Amino acid sequence: MYRQRLYLAFLSLGIVLLGGCASYSQSHRLIQQSLFNHNPAKALELLEKNSHSDKDLFLYHADKAILLRMLGKYAESNIEIEQAKKQVAEFSASSITEEGAAFIINDSTRTYIGTPVEQVMLHIYAALNYLELQQIDSARVEILQVDSRLRSFAEDEPDNPLSFDPFARYLSGIIYEDLGEWSDAMIAYRKAYEAYLSHHELYQAGIPQQLKESLILLSNKVGLKAEQKKYEKTFNLKLADLNSLHSQQGELIFTFHNGLAPIKKEHSAQLLAVSTGRFVRISLPAYYERNKIISKLRIKIKNLQQSTTTELTEDINSLAIKTLENHLPAITARAMARVVAKDKIASDAGDKSPLFGLLINLVGVATELADTRSWLTLPAEIQTARLSIPQGKHTLEIELLTDNNRIILQKKFENIQIAKNRKHYLSFHWASSDLMANLNKRH
Amino acid sequence: MKKVSLQFVSLILFTLMLAGCGTQVSRVDVKESHDLSGAWNDTDSRLVSEEMITDMLSHPWYRTHSKRSQSVPVAIVGTIRNLSHEHINLNTFIADIERAMINSGKIDFVASNQERSEIRDERKDQDLHATESSRKAMGQERGADYMLKGSINTIIDMDGSTQLRYYQVDLTLISLKDNRKVWLGQKKIKKIVKNSKLRF
Repeated sequence: MYRQRLYLAFLSLGIVLLGGCASYSQSHRLIQQSLFNHNPAKALELLEKNSHSDKDLFLYHADKAILLRMLGKYAESNIEIEQAKKQVAEFSASSITEEGAAFIINDSTRTYIGTPVEQVMLHIYAALNYLELQQIDSARVEILQVDSRLRSFAEDEPDNPLSFDPFARYLSGIIYEDLGEWSDAMIAYRKAYEAYLSHHELYQAGIPQQLKESLILLSNKVGLKAEQKKYEKTFNLKLADLNSLHSQQGELIFTFHNGLAPIKKEHSAQLLAVSTGRFVRISLPAYYERNKIISKLRIKIKNLQQSTTTELTEDINSLAIKTLENHLPAITARAMARVVAKDKIASDAGDKSPLFGLLINLVGVATELADTRSWLTLPAEIQTARLSIPQGKHTLEIELLTDNNRIILQKKFENIQIAKNRKHYLSFHWASSDLMANLNKRH
Repeated sequence: MKKVSLQFVSLILFTLMLAGCGTQVSRVDVKESHDLSGAWNDTDSRLVSEEMITDMLSHPWYRTHSKRSQSVPVAIVGTIRNLSHEHINLNTFIADIERAMINSGKIDFVASNQERSEIRDERKDQDLHATESSRKAMGQERGADYMLKGSINTIIDMDGSTQLRYYQVDLTLISLKDNRKVWLGQKKIKKIVKNSKLRF
């Protein structure tokens, strides 16, 4: 009697869940299309209109934060980031009920709190928002928080390079440098260098030229002569050349947020087990890269005949793929255990009534969906440029370039005020992947 | 009998579930201390400002000033920087400091930089529109003798789910006449925050 009730509960739960069984990444299709069309306002409207489960609130707030940022609403974006951070703090502890449901239904029944990379990106974007709002002390709060987070990742997995995020450290160095906290900046740059080196082994991450230059210039500034010489030799750069390159009073830090992070799709296998006569299905998530047409961004300072191009400083694409590879053994083990559990429930139900057993088996198979949730509005990569420029008002022109240096878009930033001995922060997002459409409506 | 008791238990459970569904609000005394997340809160802000200002006014600079100038010192709050791990609302902390200073009755307090420009605009407006008898003249402002500056710092140490949060608030009173630092105050708060590894 009790068993039958259990089966009925499983059956009705399965039917309820089937109602909303389109995977997370599928439900994001229209938002993605708006971003491909370079229309973040439309994407935001769609996101707000879409229904979202309480278990996906992290993603709702994180996506909204990026879309608001794309629209230049940095303060509003940070309100959303704080909400996403709250989700992480509140739901980091494992839930007994959610783990139980994940064991018999699927992994999507758990509250999503982001992968380690996504949690780090929350702080990076909050810091960038504060920098563009010229609230540098608040940006400093974010880099202290990201430091705590990275320390706790390193405590959990000290040998995993993914516990050390290079761009978070590099950005920390820039912020400390801006505040005149030279020793902290030096430590952050060193940690960034070590992280880029360990990530090079993981996915061929390069060490940005601007970091090499910062290491030499700053080690000279804080009087670490031996270290300065070591960097000069390793990077084949001369301090004197760098001094003339960075001789101006102000500095422009430009971040370019290019493309869209990879999307998770479901890979599943379904078969009829001949020995038992029941269906068995296993579903696992896999990342797919999204088309990215821009290779770099060129910045020109109109009145100074000065220009530079951005370089890759955070390869979110590779980081996301490597993180999933890292988590896949655990995801697979859980999926295998679930297959066995579901089959056992169906087999026990089949002993009572073959029709009932078949129904339970079908519900079990239909609810076996991969967890394809991820922060889909993140860019594929963050590129950065640093330009030493004199204090005063400047007009900037940016050009988006393809692999063969074809200009896709030009845009002006007017009246950029560079203050003496300070840094000025600007950013630009470009998620569109349609080359022809963009060439036709060249801005 | 069994059926009745089962229905009864279900009814109680259902009632309990309903009770947990609505938003619950209860009023508490603002002086009561409630620590929810372990972060800097209103109690920290109030206690730190009260204790530090009491300490500031009990130090020798105060007597020296009163003896020399035969008047109550005039102060202004300058920049207080948040160098901590948290986004602390500095406006409420500055308001708490200002309140503690004014309510002590031992120190006069002048409007801050931002407030001053608004008041000056109002005086300019009065110059044009107010009657002769009610008009306030320019150039009658009281200049501050001292500026209070400071910072809030944190050190966070963690081990698994336990976190030790150490807050240090530093305040400095600087004489505007000659840049002398006449008082340095420091207040430390230590909190141990334990996060559960399991939830329901």
